[in-house]
Amino acid sequence: MIRNTCGLILADDKRIHMGDLTRPRALSAVPFGGRYRIIDFALSNMVNSGILTIAVSTFNKYKSLMDHLGTGSAWDLDRKSQGLYILPPYISSESYTGRGDDLSGIINFFREIKQEYIIVSSASCILNTTYDELMTYHKDKNADISVMYNRDGYKAEAPVTILDMTRSGRIKGVYENPLNPVSNRNSLGVMLMRRELFVEILGEAMSRGTTEVNPEFYVKEFDRYAIYGYEYKGCALRINSTQAYFDATLRALSEPTRTEVFWQKQPVFTKVKDEAPAIYSEDCEVRDSMISDGCYIQGSVRHSMLFRNVSVGSKAKLTNCIIFQDTQIADGCELENVIIDKKCVIRPGIKLIGQAAYPVVIGKGAIV
Amino acid sequence: MKKELIAMILAGGQGSRLGALTDTMAKPAVPYGSRYRIIDFPLSNCVNSGIDTVGVLTQYQPLALNTYVGNGHPWDLDRNNGGAFILPPYQHSKGSDWYKNTANAIYQNIPFIDNFDPDYVLILSGDHIYKMNYAKLLEYHIAKGADATIAVYEVSKEEARRFGIMTSDENGRIVKFEEKPAKPESTQASMGIYMFNWPLLKKELAEDEADVTSSHDFGKNVIPKLLAEDRQVFSYPFQGYWKDVGTIESLWESNMDIIDRPRDIDLQDDNWRIYSRNPVKPAHYIAPGAKVRSSALTDGCLIYGSVHHSILSHSVVVEAGAVVEDSVLMPGVVVRRGACLKKVIVGMETIIGENDLIGGEENKEHPYYNKKICSDNITLINGGLILKPDITVPGNCMVSMAQDVAEADQVIERCENIPAV
Repeated sequence: MIRNTCGLILADDKRIHMGDLTRPRALSAVPFGGRYRIIDFALSNMVNSGILTIAVSTFNKYKSLMDHLGTGSAWDLDRKSQGLYILPPYISSESYTGRGDDLSGIINFFREIKQEYIIVSSASCILNTTYDELMTYHKDKNADISVMYNRDGYKAEAPVTILDMTRSGRIKGVYENPLNPVSNRNSLGVMLMRRELFVEILGEAMSRGTTEVNPEFYVKEFDRYAIYGYEYKGCALRINSTQAYFDATLRALSEPTRTEVFWQKQPVFTKVKDEAPAIYSEDCEVRDSMISDGCYIQGSVRHSMLFRNVSVGSKAKLTNCIIFQDTQIADGCELENVIIDKKCVIRPGIKLIGQAAYPVVIGKGAIV
Repeated sequence: MKKELIAMILAGGQGSRLGALTDTMAKPAVPYGSRYRIIDFPLSNCVNSGIDTVGVLTQYQPLALNTYVGNGHPWDLDRNNGGAFILPPYQHSKGSDWYKNTANAIYQNIPFIDNFDPDYVLILSGDHIYKMNYAKLLEYHIAKGADATIAVYEVSKEEARRFGIMTSDENGRIVKFEEKPAKPESTQASMGIYMFNWPLLKKELAEDEADVTSSHDFGKNVIPKLLAEDRQVFSYPFQGYWKDVGTIESLWESNMDIIDRPRDIDLQDDNWRIYSRNPVKPAHYIAPGAKVRSSALTDGCLIYGSVHHSILSHSVVVEAGAVVEDSVLMPGVVVRRGACLKKVIVGMETIIGENDLIGGEENKEHPYYNKKICSDNITLINGGLILKPDITVPGNCMVSMAQDVAEADQVIERCENIPAV
């Protein structure tokens, strides 16, 4: 458990677009893994590390996110002192330009609280861990800022942030989306520093007209501060695009990713739905899939992820599919390599075939 | 603050007919239907009927129930004004008393009820599976100008001998009440759901308490006394799914109804959700070699073997080559590879050993044979046990630590502590 630390989750990333999936919601509000939203992982990591003051910032499309977070009770963050704080853009004047003001809410919040340290986490990486070791590393190195990275820099999709480090782990160069990476060390968007330093650097950046806070921006200050890289050796799933999302989900069905992401000793908390148990019919055939509560399955489901309250009609065939909650798939449908968003209806006998390298995406509420 | 109606759930009974399942927990805390506990049904019915103040009377093995109900948050009963209250028996200046019986339990909590100064009090039991709108029961009670209203359920002539049977006139007024009659005059069975005018009930409870010959039971004493006094006692006929889960056989049947008669209990009903304390677990996983048919599963299960016509609670693991059929597995059960279960109820966190064969035809000579608790070839394995590999336990057996079995016949390898939630 780490003490005296607050958290900031950057719930959206302007560099990442996932088409239909992020049209109605912020990146971190995209459903993941059957019963979660992407933000649940960052939130649970903080809660499981003992962080009790957590702010979530987002610049638009926060309705879906706020529905999900509510009072924070699912993460035990509905507290009298500390707890969960949502920091939407801070509109200070009628001539709101959408610039600068985005950050005033964040800086005002973190200027006034008392914790000594802050952990900032961006939304686009899914990992299940606690930050105890990061804190130990930070103190051992006597670092100003510590940033988490892993070694997938040669194969990860953009945006990548390559860290060039000295032998002692100090960062001496930062490259965003380089053509020829000097290293495979790729930032995971999680950093730790003193809260006062966080506020100081942010204040300075705002005075120069910066409108967005992200870990990459901080790491670039390596000339002025002692910034160290901390290697995360566990599994991290980067959600940088629709394709990356599709691949990450299907990868999470198999070992060892499944255990590393979902079945750790520290749980992943999420909003409770009180669905009925999943019901399997006599004729169904389910293989290599994760199924959530409230599903009613009559057809065949292979290598797929079904969210809550999905119904699959008889003789329907699903292979490599990700089906969000409350979607109904009628009798005799044939779906392959498909992502279907919430509350869709797929009429009887419909055939939707995508490719493993290019899945078909059906937007929220569609009737096919 | 004044409330029109509050509910009191009698959850203190042992439920001894459930055998080893209730060794360490009261009946209302027994897991049911993959993701529920029995008490979720009356609690959810209360909340869905607009009742926001519920007393839960506990006495027998209260730990599991207390931790499960907690502050009532899962049922939206964590409220500033009202909410869920656990009401154990307590010590007072003139000594202390256990709850002697149902009526005495309510009698001892008169000060609690008076806090809310209610017009009506609804008495419920914590051992039935059903969905009922108590608001409609109250409307009926008021429309009839009743002193008390008892919900009744139509049963067959044969079943009627096992229940408290009401005989009503054409207006629904109860004229006769018989406990387990040999020759039932009617087929309306009491569901153990009583709506009372609080001032009257308070007076009746005080009189009943003073009566040294009374056994202080609603069915045996309070209701007959009201009838003898010629009070306005009405029956409220209930239609829909209702099941008493007081025996191993009825608990098994009621679990199977979820897959065999899903439309009857209709757990998917958005207008009448059954709420429960949710485990924090991932969605369940069905492996490539697994086979799951006609079953109900919930979060945290890992299935590598074959599951047919069974109800699995959260975090159940069925290893490759294991076969689970017609069974009810409670939270955290592990079925090791090669094991075969047929019509078995397994309590929480038990580990079934490799290649164990459990269930099937009965064998009267078997040391675990227990026809008092088990029937219809159902086998009961208690929670918190680790069974030895390669053992055979036939149908109608009950396996628990408390049983006196010769060393050579012992099938239990170790006993673990059963977690309360």
